[in-house]
Amino acid sequence: MERCGVPSVSIISTGFLKQAAVVAKGLGLPDMAIAEFPGVPMTQSKEELRRQVVELLLPRVIAGLSKPLNLAAPVNEPVLPKPRDVVFSGTLDQVNDYFHEQNWSDGMPVVPPTLDRVEKFLRFTERDPQEVIGVCPPANREATVWNVAVNGVMAGCRPEYMPILLAVVEIICTPEYKVEDAGSTPGWESLITLSGPIIKQLGFNAGQGVMRVGRQPNTSIGRFLRMFIRNVAGFTHGPEGADKGSIGQSFLVVLAENEDAIAELGWQPYSVDRGFKAGENVVTVQSVVAISAPAYSQSERAEEHAALLADVIGERACGYWTAIGMCYANWHPLMILGPSIAAVFAKDGWSKDDIRQYFYEHVKIKASAAERYAYGAGLTGFRIANAVKEGLLPKAFHLSDDPDRLVPVFQKPEWMSIVVAGDAGRNQSRGYVCNHVQGVPTSRKVVLPGNWAALLAEYRGKLET
Amino acid sequence: MIPAPNEPAYDVVWPLGKPAYATRAPVERVANLNNKVIGETWDYLFRGEEWFPILREELTKRYPGIKFVTYDTFGNLHGPNQRELVAKVPDLLKKHKVDAVISAIGA
Repeated sequence: MERCGVPSVSIISTGFLKQAAVVAKGLGLPDMAIAEFPGVPMTQSKEELRRQVVELLLPRVIAGLSKPLNLAAPVNEPVLPKPRDVVFSGTLDQVNDYFHEQNWSDGMPVVPPTLDRVEKFLRFTERDPQEVIGVCPPANREATVWNVAVNGVMAGCRPEYMPILLAVVEIICTPEYKVEDAGSTPGWESLITLSGPIIKQLGFNAGQGVMRVGRQPNTSIGRFLRMFIRNVAGFTHGPEGADKGSIGQSFLVVLAENEDAIAELGWQPYSVDRGFKAGENVVTVQSVVAISAPAYSQSERAEEHAALLADVIGERACGYWTAIGMCYANWHPLMILGPSIAAVFAKDGWSKDDIRQYFYEHVKIKASAAERYAYGAGLTGFRIANAVKEGLLPKAFHLSDDPDRLVPVFQKPEWMSIVVAGDAGRNQSRGYVCNHVQGVPTSRKVVLPGNWAALLAEYRGKLET
Repeated sequence: MIPAPNEPAYDVVWPLGKPAYATRAPVERVANLNNKVIGETWDYLFRGEEWFPILREELTKRYPGIKFVTYDTFGNLHGPNQRELVAKVPDLLKKHKVDAVISAIGA
């Protein structure tokens, strides 16, 4: 509004004032007018709400629109360091203390980002170190090839991971990923899924314990993404932090697909599901707001596995959160399918599409329960019937006016992702629930430098000796 | 912390990036809201359907000539069609000759 030359006042509830300050500063409007909505609107009675609006909010709205702003005295913009400037010198402990004080760390020790270390990362890309990849809201700082390398060093990555780090950051900088919502109250995390020969080249774990910390590439690249989102997008808990995850969760390690298992089944890798060619190195990033219980399915028949998975992962894990997906007409859950379970499906002639279709047809929720859940989450203006009328949801969501009619939990079968990975010696699968339009699955091909093989031999050789 | 005598020192660089937008002041306020057109933008969250009408009612009591372009004109600016609807806001502000905007809600 202000960019259009129209004065505005933003209504912000008490608990979100810190986040509003980050957004305002990121937009270059640190003195933006704000009217504080006192307390938590979702827990106030009608009477209390009216009283708060009349007695407290109203005068703040009037002041925000009509009272000349008491602008902070103009100060010289701080001089920001240039990429190669040394901002601190000290021992390992001193560097870590300094980075913690500055809120440039994630609470764990970081590898000191020295020029020498950063340069090693830059050897693994042909891009200009100063290239601006994009802007990361809400802090709206520039993501550059250089600061990708710096944060990669800090997170404990190896230099040869750089092409993956760049692909990851390209994704989070795309507007459709909506990284500006990565600090929303559901506390979602970004999950990186990796396909292609680079999995073996760099030694990722795609098998037992695939989602555990421990293997360097899986772990450090997962940590890198969280660190980059903190440092460049501004999602920290510090005094100027924008992270509002109400309970939140920790970073997720990279999910590497078991492409050997996929090939044995005659299925296509996940990268092909995402529109790429088999054999290409592809990174996909999406949000994860919750993880299902482990789903142990037992049978030699595909349909019995499908029924158990649909219950544990589809209904129990995704069931209620699908309501928020309905509000945003967007919903992309992911299932990690254990290799032994995938083998039963393949033996019975099921494809991944058949599994998706089963979930779409069999997992349902009462429309009234979905609307009630959405209301509690704050989406008080949402009605399924209206969303169908506006063409946002398929007609299957409003075949009658019965409030207790059953509606699909999976909006479109093709929106469900299936990745084969995990323990080949067990019968376990697991669901990863997405956060609707925030963090939609977005993919990029990993671009390797022309001298990749030689560089890799040089660096991996060092690792092995 | 006192470093050990032979402990190496590290010269480290900045892990952040420069801000994309220069700092500027908000535009001038509206001195008197009477006879002004107030736009409402909403993310369809947190009971705005209840308290926007209360705000309208109370503002009208104080400024009888005030007019509102209600939130349904702009649509859900945080919903499934966010980008398309946000892109239309500048034209809608001009079309309806909006003098000031109440934007809600961060909660």
